[in-house]
Amino acid sequence: MALHCRSSTLLWMPTLNRPLISLITTSGGRQPVRLFTQSQHRRFTDDARLAKRIQIYQSRSSNPYVNLSVEHYLLQHSHPDSTVLFLYKNRPCVVIGRNQNPWLEVNLALLREGLSGSPIDLVRRRSGGGTVFHDSGNVNWSVICPPAAFDRNKHAEMVVRAVQPLLQPGLRVRVNERHDIVMDVTPEGKTFKVSGSAYKLTRLRSLHHGTCLLSSPNLGHISRLLRSPAEPYIKARGVESVRSPVRNVGIANTSDFTDAVITEFCKMYDHHESEMVEVDDSGVETEKIRNGVNELMSPDWIYGQTPQFTFSTHPTEDDPRERPPLPADLPSNFRTEMVVRHGQIQSASVSGLSFVIDPDDPDFIPGDYPPDDIHNGRFTLDADVLGGLLVGRKIYGGDGVYDWRRALVLAGGEFTSSNGTIEPADNVGTFLNTMLGIQPKDP
Amino acid sequence: MASIARCVRSARPSAFTAFVKAPVSRTIISRRAFHATAISQIRKYTKDHEWIDVSADMKTGVIGISEYAAEALGDVVYVELPEEGKKVQAGDAIGAVESVKSAADINAPISCKITHVNLVLEEKPGTINHVPEDDSHGGGWIAKVAVDEQGVKDLENLMDPEAYKEFTATESEEH
Repeated sequence: MALHCRSSTLLWMPTLNRPLISLITTSGGRQPVRLFTQSQHRRFTDDARLAKRIQIYQSRSSNPYVNLSVEHYLLQHSHPDSTVLFLYKNRPCVVIGRNQNPWLEVNLALLREGLSGSPIDLVRRRSGGGTVFHDSGNVNWSVICPPAAFDRNKHAEMVVRAVQPLLQPGLRVRVNERHDIVMDVTPEGKTFKVSGSAYKLTRLRSLHHGTCLLSSPNLGHISRLLRSPAEPYIKARGVESVRSPVRNVGIANTSDFTDAVITEFCKMYDHHESEMVEVDDSGVETEKIRNGVNELMSPDWIYGQTPQFTFSTHPTEDDPRERPPLPADLPSNFRTEMVVRHGQIQSASVSGLSFVIDPDDPDFIPGDYPPDDIHNGRFTLDADVLGGLLVGRKIYGGDGVYDWRRALVLAGGEFTSSNGTIEPADNVGTFLNTMLGIQPKDP
Repeated sequence: MASIARCVRSARPSAFTAFVKAPVSRTIISRRAFHATAISQIRKYTKDHEWIDVSADMKTGVIGISEYAAEALGDVVYVELPEEGKKVQAGDAIGAVESVKSAADINAPISCKITHVNLVLEEKPGTINHVPEDDSHGGGWIAKVAVDEQGVKDLENLMDPEAYKEFTATESEEH
């Protein structure tokens, strides 16, 4: 099915050979410029449009899964020789890089709690790099170009040229050695990150996209959203984020920014045509975009794509860090170590759980229990045997572990009589839910 | 829920006792066994900087990325390996390499089926930077493949080492 979108034509001043939009912006006009001579529905997936040398798209959707899927569609379907600019804003969400670990990068419980009642989406993008926070005060810019023209800095420099004239005196933006845009604040003598870059390179195309914090009201929350309680216990393969102090550029009206970026983009590519295509949620009417949205929203992508990691409550040879003290309601001999690859438990050991031996059980044969493992009528479950019962399970959604309390009771239940209880599966399970749980509630 | 004793009985001695008392013995397979020393194998390169070594009998191959590509990518921090058993066409993305915030696709040089992946790369992604064109144990190869009929035909479109060297020399000049 076709994707319908509003196609708009910007008004140009032919004598000036540049868009009126830039004229107004640079003359200090603060009103968003929307000078469309025509507005009509056209297919954005139109082959002729995707074949144009220079293409400019802007999204009206705030759905991060839709926006990233539209972006991916443009990456895959725009003409290999074309250069594409795509601008979009997302509702509050945390976006992790392609090869990152959500259990390590994000406080999943806080994400579920959300900001003022609405949960924050967790998104895994297709490009590399680290974790970032988006909201309506952050504009994302994306440039897709042929690989031969690829350069990690040139489009960040383009955004710098767009932003600099909009800044208050004493503020300067530049691209740093990590290809991010930072702002030097002269009065404070400090440098803050205002935009993060990430790239996706395919055989035919290269994509550079970045955030730009213009006027986010949520800066105060970002740090705790991006701090996982499980961090001291996880050693992960893949990519870890680099923390940077952030701030807003201080542009209240996001369209001032997008107009300036479009102008710089047109200058950079000597573009004098006048078409900017607006995309909205109806993008999902296109099958490939809908499939992309479904993939990005699936737990198998968000969690299952995670590179291998080890969760261990105590120092190990591979991860000798001192661990924070465990909650007081856990047994002193509790310890666990789990290797999780692509969200699936590869190996596990869980020690410190036991159950009360029921001497009235007709099946009970005292000789079956190694005496060393019986204390005060309790039989201690072997760490590897109990862990072994978790092997193969996914630690996210679906048929996997939703609630660790239940998972442990079920695993331990293999060894108890029908009225036996595993102790203290509830406390251990609650601890693991805090660390790894992606569903806090009882199933 | 099974009863304690039945479970315990069925679990012993193999589980309870063995796990507690005896160290787990692992079968260690020498990875070197995988490395067949190639006699007169054929090496070809793609324009996208992948290489493939094809055995003399044209049945199997090893895929990797070129030194030129590895250098251009910068420090590799993660390698997303292909899926074993997957059948792919020439040019299909089979995996990805992440470096400097970039996820770069690895493409199949020819039509083939993935038979082995180099798990070492998941643990030590930097191997790709050190020895990207090494198809032996410890090398930076990415996958071993079974070559099909179409795959043999696809080889004709690829460059031999000499041609690839010239090709990358021109690419470097352009940049």
